[in-house]
Amino acid sequence: MRNRNLWYWLFLAPALLALALVVILPLAFGVYYSFTDWNGIRTPSFVGLEHYKALFAEKEFRDALWFTTKFTVVSVFLINFFGLSLALLVTQKFKTNNILRTIFFMPNLIGGLILGFIWQFIFTKVFASVGELIGVEALEGWLSTETTGFWAMAILMSWQMAGYIMVIYISFLEGVPQELLEAAEIDGANSFQRFYHVTFPLVMPAFTVSLFLTLSNSFKLYDQNLSLTGGGPYNSTQMVAMEIFKTAFVENAMAFAQAKAVIFFLIVAAISLTQVYINKKREVEM
Amino acid sequence: MKAKKLFPAVLSLGLLIGGGLAGCSSGDDKTSGEGGKDGDKVTVDIFQFKVEFKDQFEDIAKAYEEANKDVDINITTVGGGEDYGAALKSKFASGNEPTIYNVGGPQDVADWEDKLADLSDTAAAKAALSGTLEGVTKDDKVLGLPYNQEGYGFIYNKDIFEKAGIDPKSITSYSALEEAVKTLDSKKKDLGLTSVFALPAKETWVTGLHLSNVFLAPEFDQNVINAFESKEVTFEHGDAFKKILDLQNKYSDQPTVSLDYAKQVEELFSTGKAAIIQQGNWVSGSIAGIDEELANNGVGILPIPVEGYKEDSIPVGVPMYWAVNSNKDEKEVAAAKEFLDWLYTSEEGKTAVIEDFKFIPAYEGYDAGKISDPLAKEIYEYSSAGKTLAWTFMGYPTGWGQEKLGINIQKYVSGEMTWDELVEESSKAWAEARK
Repeated sequence: MRNRNLWYWLFLAPALLALALVVILPLAFGVYYSFTDWNGIRTPSFVGLEHYKALFAEKEFRDALWFTTKFTVVSVFLINFFGLSLALLVTQKFKTNNILRTIFFMPNLIGGLILGFIWQFIFTKVFASVGELIGVEALEGWLSTETTGFWAMAILMSWQMAGYIMVIYISFLEGVPQELLEAAEIDGANSFQRFYHVTFPLVMPAFTVSLFLTLSNSFKLYDQNLSLTGGGPYNSTQMVAMEIFKTAFVENAMAFAQAKAVIFFLIVAAISLTQVYINKKREVEM
Repeated sequence: MKAKKLFPAVLSLGLLIGGGLAGCSSGDDKTSGEGGKDGDKVTVDIFQFKVEFKDQFEDIAKAYEEANKDVDINITTVGGGEDYGAALKSKFASGNEPTIYNVGGPQDVADWEDKLADLSDTAAAKAALSGTLEGVTKDDKVLGLPYNQEGYGFIYNKDIFEKAGIDPKSITSYSALEEAVKTLDSKKKDLGLTSVFALPAKETWVTGLHLSNVFLAPEFDQNVINAFESKEVTFEHGDAFKKILDLQNKYSDQPTVSLDYAKQVEELFSTGKAAIIQQGNWVSGSIAGIDEELANNGVGILPIPVEGYKEDSIPVGVPMYWAVNSNKDEKEVAAAKEFLDWLYTSEEGKTAVIEDFKFIPAYEGYDAGKISDPLAKEIYEYSSAGKTLAWTFMGYPTGWGQEKLGINIQKYVSGEMTWDELVEESSKAWAEARK
């Protein structure tokens, strides 16, 4: 720590400069604009806290926030559940392990926008045809109600992200010392007990990372939302990021949207930091 | 020790900065030198939104450059309504302001007012058809020049109508339309139809802007400025509005709330699975992409009847205007005006406007016989016969048509909202936006 001489700062400078230019400065500008009546064209004048007062009174924003929260809870659970299950599956001694890993990871390589359009086709066309064929009416008219739209998004998101989260779990699962598992086995622990009492605590750090990634990604979701449902029907599947975009560019209220974005940033930061803090405390050192 | 370490650091930093500066200054020399050489040349940067005629427009600009060696025209095209607005703002924010850009209507004019040059003295402004300049005129100053005219209504499949024994000419009222729809619906199987209509309630611009405009325009005396200045909207012809919406929804492929433009035009209408769609002449290209024959000979347009008002008219308006940036120096503004004048009033320009761009002209002195697209031709005929309704949706409060009314219509067609609630909520949102 005491080695922070000139060289230290000199080598750090480019990174710090880049960070300041592309993250800190825009953020500061954004906060500044949220206190003005900027519309993207004219020079702004100061309006104080006006936008922040109007913000929570707006039904659309509250609806979007509530929808996003529900979506995040469901998808964080689903993604981690499937991610861990897949990881457990491919760390068993199967011959097809490597191929399976690749297959499970692949959805993550496709861009969110394209994925949205592909799944839109699956939900509206394939589901409808299958539903007609086997006579299940629930499969028809997907994406045209709030409930089906919600689950469509959750399915898409877990399908895409589970493979990525799987990789994280794999790396920790493979780090679990075999001696410990063997010792437990000799002591008479069955496979569930071995997982719950030995493996689970040791992969706790993986939960910290995975939960953080899934939580913040689900909260900030935009492209999948845009291409799959477009917020429809009647804006009932509109998530916060999309609501902010629409406020800015469709309703042309740039500064108001900026205020929403600042609040959104604070919410996501607060939740993620709390989660990391709680998880960190539960991690065990070997 | 310390000084020894410090020295190379300072030296390298100095070299870095010095080198950078030297690089910059030599670069500057070069550009200024070039600028001096052909200082007579004027560059006109155009930032426009219409993707459909991008190539044709670039060709004509090249032709203009050949004829006028001292003018250099650069065209940038960014398509789609919303995206264009955002892109234009970032273009201005970057300091790289275009000379010619596009504005939509009274709201845009109010937003951009400081950056709009007066175009009253151009020949194009004088040749513009009466009424087309309404939305961009402020204090007797003309701040924009119309691109072209566009119109929409109920586009129908001539072949299907013929087979069903319906004469489209007879449909000039709501009752006649309802009658025809019922006839078509009863013969659905024989005609190979999935449904009579295809109502794309997912596209809030089709319902919230275009459809609503037909029934709200009378309230504003067919004047976009009245709509822009109105503090309230009362849905005077709300019943007629409800009837048409219900008719389309009842006889449409379901669920309408997830039916989008591509499904409406390409999947259902172009393949003959739907007989009537509410759209405008801009769909010609989409239809031609599926069935060229249908696009060239098989489509016509019917009026959207407003019961108790005008039942035989279609809405015709100007989708976008050319604006010239008043921040630019006089020479550049003059060159921009000259180019626009040439485009719309010279013989060469006129030919391109009608034949290459396939526009419905918004200016006098054009030979209408040269319009090749059948929908465009019909719309021009409605326009010449005075059977038109104005486009007033450009005067709606920003975002109201799509984000408020369009969304409420989605709620209404999926049974989440009654018609009375729709009227009440939408009027409230309007009043709030105009407070």
